[in-house]
Amino acid sequence: MEFLGQDRREGLGRKAHSRFVLMLLALVSVLLLLSSLYSAEASVFKKAREGVLDAASPVLALLAGPIAYINETVGYVSDYFNTLKQNEALRQENAELRQWMNEALELREIVAVYEGLQTYEAPPEAQPVDAYVIGEANDAFARSMIVNAGRKRNIESGQAVVDDKGLIGRIVDTGSRASRVLLLSDIQSRVPVYVEGAAVEGILVGRTRDRPAISFTETSEPVEIIPGQRVLTSGAGGVLPRGIPVGVVDGEYRSEIVVDLYADYARTRLVRVINYEFPSIDGAPAETNEGAEAADDAGAAEPAPAEG
Amino acid sequence: MGYRAENLLRLLKAAAPTLLGLMGVIVLALPIRLFEGFAPTPLIPLVVVFFWSVYGPDYLPPASVFVIGLLQDLLTGGPLGLWAVVYLVTQFVVLSQRSYFLGREQKVVWIGFAVVAVGASMILWLVMSLMSGALLPFFALAAQMAATVLIYPLFGMAFRQLHRRVLVEA
Repeated sequence: MEFLGQDRREGLGRKAHSRFVLMLLALVSVLLLLSSLYSAEASVFKKAREGVLDAASPVLALLAGPIAYINETVGYVSDYFNTLKQNEALRQENAELRQWMNEALELREIVAVYEGLQTYEAPPEAQPVDAYVIGEANDAFARSMIVNAGRKRNIESGQAVVDDKGLIGRIVDTGSRASRVLLLSDIQSRVPVYVEGAAVEGILVGRTRDRPAISFTETSEPVEIIPGQRVLTSGAGGVLPRGIPVGVVDGEYRSEIVVDLYADYARTRLVRVINYEFPSIDGAPAETNEGAEAADDAGAAEPAPAEG
Repeated sequence: MGYRAENLLRLLKAAAPTLLGLMGVIVLALPIRLFEGFAPTPLIPLVVVFFWSVYGPDYLPPASVFVIGLLQDLLTGGPLGLWAVVYLVTQFVVLSQRSYFLGREQKVVWIGFAVVAVGASMILWLVMSLMSGALLPFFALAAQMAATVLIYPLFGMAFRQLHRRVLVEA
């Protein structure tokens, strides 16, 4: 420690070398950038990400509480100004929901009768894990959140993350105590979806804007899409379960079907990670294609949150 | 104060800008959503890198800048090395213009920071657009950079006090 401050070097650096070191490190960064372009999933990078997630999670978890308090307090200010309008909207929504509740109760009785039949085979149940959002990438291009559940609670990459409104995104990195959720609006996000009633499947593509767009896998026939139709996960590819509500079709802009997400990322705080295993056929482990088909079969009975 | 405590204090002072930069990265990873997410979170590490490249390059060696950028990449989940490049280029440019900034009015330095922020956003936007193969919307980045430029006088003032009163003096 003698060198500190004794020969007029108060800081951490050494001036004579700094320009050379700067160039060298810039070069290293560029190389890193190029290599991450070609091997984003390389195990070294993944390990580093997960290590940093784990290291940062206690700090983030500690600060997330006070931050949420501040967010809410500041948020109240704008709420005061439109309480009347919100009340009116809530009353209307409540009336609609009551009707849906009655319908759901009737349907529950009918389903119970069918489930009582001997030929009925229950689909595999999802194992939900509840978690809090403790971090968020405040970055213009990277849209992700950090939740306080990791491998210790059986979280794995690829699992769907939902909140009370609908799909939030899916897990991409898992540390032992925290994991990263890639949001649907991220440029890398690709989620297989279908439009209810339109009988067409597509892929929801993030565009770093608030509202992602659907790109259709088969464009042989012109698709009739009406704004207001629901968009749900299709379960294709055997990663996300079928039937999780994603959003509603907002309309077609420049030959893109833009989706209004149910998720409100500015308010997402408590989420649920869905640990769903696709049913395997005849005891064999589910292949990707078979898994998707099996999911289609099981999808009708898949317990989806906030259905309707 | 004992010999050891004094040395620890010196080390802390020498590492203060680096620690501030790392704290700025943590701030960027917090779920801050003021006004329902409309207010973007300012890039405090950019301010740190700019400020100490002008007023005390010895306190923020390139290795520290590299570590700050790399941590930001790892924590925000972006491509590895992107922010490290942006911060290192910022430091390089600022160091080369250092003699111009030293002794100038704060207004002038602020304008200089705005220019640097615009340059940094150009790099970010270009690299991200190249990597994703599409021209990305510029608005979110512009808003974040605007927020960063707006808070610069505040943080610049605080850092100046810290640098003059605590780090250099005594």
